[in-house]
Amino acid sequence: MSARWKTVAAGAALVAGVMMLCGGEREARAEYGDVVMNNYSDAAGMRPAVFPHWFHRVRFRCKVCHSDLGIKFKAGGNEINMLKIIDGQFCGACHNGSVAWSVENCDLCHSAKPGTPTQVHDSTINLLGGAGTAPAGASAPAGKK
Amino acid sequence: MKLLRFAGGSLLAALVATPAPAQELPNAKAVYDANCAACHATGIGGAPRTGDARAWSDRLGAGINALYANAIKGKRAMPPKGGNASLTDAQVMAAVNHIVGLTAAPARRTGAKPVDTSKGKLVYQVVCAACHTSGLAGAPKLGDAAAWASRLSAGPGSMYANAIKGKGAMPPKGGNASLPDADVRAAVDFMLTQMRGGTALPPAGAAAPNPAAPSAPTPVASAAPAVSVPVAVVLAPAVYESADPNAFNRLMVAPGRRNPPPAEDGIHDPESPGTALLQAPLLSFQSLPRANLGNYVNWVTALGKKQIQPRWDTRDPKAEPAVMDLNIVREVKGSMPDVVFPHKQHTEWLDCSNCHPAIFTPEKGANQISMAAIMLGQKCGVCHGKVAFPISECRLCHARQKSAGARTVEGPSAGAGRQ
Repeated sequence: MSARWKTVAAGAALVAGVMMLCGGEREARAEYGDVVMNNYSDAAGMRPAVFPHWFHRVRFRCKVCHSDLGIKFKAGGNEINMLKIIDGQFCGACHNGSVAWSVENCDLCHSAKPGTPTQVHDSTINLLGGAGTAPAGASAPAGKK
Repeated sequence: MKLLRFAGGSLLAALVATPAPAQELPNAKAVYDANCAACHATGIGGAPRTGDARAWSDRLGAGINALYANAIKGKRAMPPKGGNASLTDAQVMAAVNHIVGLTAAPARRTGAKPVDTSKGKLVYQVVCAACHTSGLAGAPKLGDAAAWASRLSAGPGSMYANAIKGKGAMPPKGGNASLPDADVRAAVDFMLTQMRGGTALPPAGAAAPNPAAPSAPTPVASAAPAVSVPVAVVLAPAVYESADPNAFNRLMVAPGRRNPPPAEDGIHDPESPGTALLQAPLLSFQSLPRANLGNYVNWVTALGKKQIQPRWDTRDPKAEPAVMDLNIVREVKGSMPDVVFPHKQHTEWLDCSNCHPAIFTPEKGANQISMAAIMLGQKCGVCHGKVAFPISECRLCHARQKSAGARTVEGPSAGAGRQ
């Protein structure tokens, strides 16, 4: 009986350990405002890019990107691609090895799970309509120009 | 605790079983049908029924080798080799494997393909979850292996039929008559996979990569990573349902689950080499003033107290915004307090051209704004509800009581728009 109890206890401990390892695996709980961009990534065999709004707003006011750099207030609405970034547009205005790390660090941006739709994570639109299903009429006007 | 012991035992069984010879001989089904089915298909003499996951899981607790030994030498009502002494040991073991395989993957008995549960999960969430999450009206709860096992013993075919035609308190198609039969079946399949996942039994899904040996118990080795917390149902992004119907804040994200590190946050791929290098939000946020929703950070206060010093220009760290201190009061319908729009807090972050004229015409009375539009991401909702504080913080905008006698445009004033 005591051997059986030990077996059971060992099994329970194992299960608890595995649960701890797997318990964090839930869907959709990245930070509020994270933008996932998957305009071209999946098709190109890259992970989609994640833009952490919170990280950038600690370091820059909204105006820097949404006015100076002309990035529209619309997830996936800027048609950003690597060529434009290397040419110094959009992310490339800073991610050039001078203000911030440069484009060789592919995996730092392209870090989303493959297949994640373009979205603003945790946004009201996501909550209402599900990821990647922003209503057609919801497109936001450009911040500038 | 009982569940844990139960799960522990079966997981241990899975581990113990791993090195055992687990190949199924081609005649295993024939051996089973001829010698075992008489009792094990019906449960005569207390025999554990094929497909009764719980009964078999208990016995597997001693390891598959013990099962082999009992089947060969007999135990209690079980005669040695099922009463057919002419069987070889290998044939008996194959029959045991056959039973365990059938029990582990009951969906396969119908010849079903490996189950893609994404569709079933969706149907479950929309149609079935109302009863099957809480166990309402006696519905077997998702992940409750014992409740499902007794129903499963009649075979998944009858479960599909019951789900489609209804049985007892279960309405046909869960009360949604427009649902295609295939969707109902998908939901049943999903619930069955949850039963296996929740009790650490070998999941049918784990067998998927090994279609060449459909009912061999070899996949148990891969069962361990599939162990999950029972009833992890995601209703919508960032909304979680607790297994306990009386749980406090049942539909809300538990405080400990906010701001997880990138590898665990659900949109980052933990396999990406860059993911582990990214900063976890919690590290950044812990020193910042708290808010109730969104990032759970009061960004405006953080900026005001210079706890963060975001640049106004990419290169010039000394550039400063031209802040305009002008409150706009919008009188709103009904009893809601009027909206006070503080230019000050907005111009600390934004340029005039971010909002004017594309989003807001800079003219009194020229902007039609509704909460519906905001929820759809227009007007204030271009930022609020996406990155600025969410719209559920009603009183941060609806800040002025009607009796204050506000008019449309007022001069500078402090205190409005606290975030």
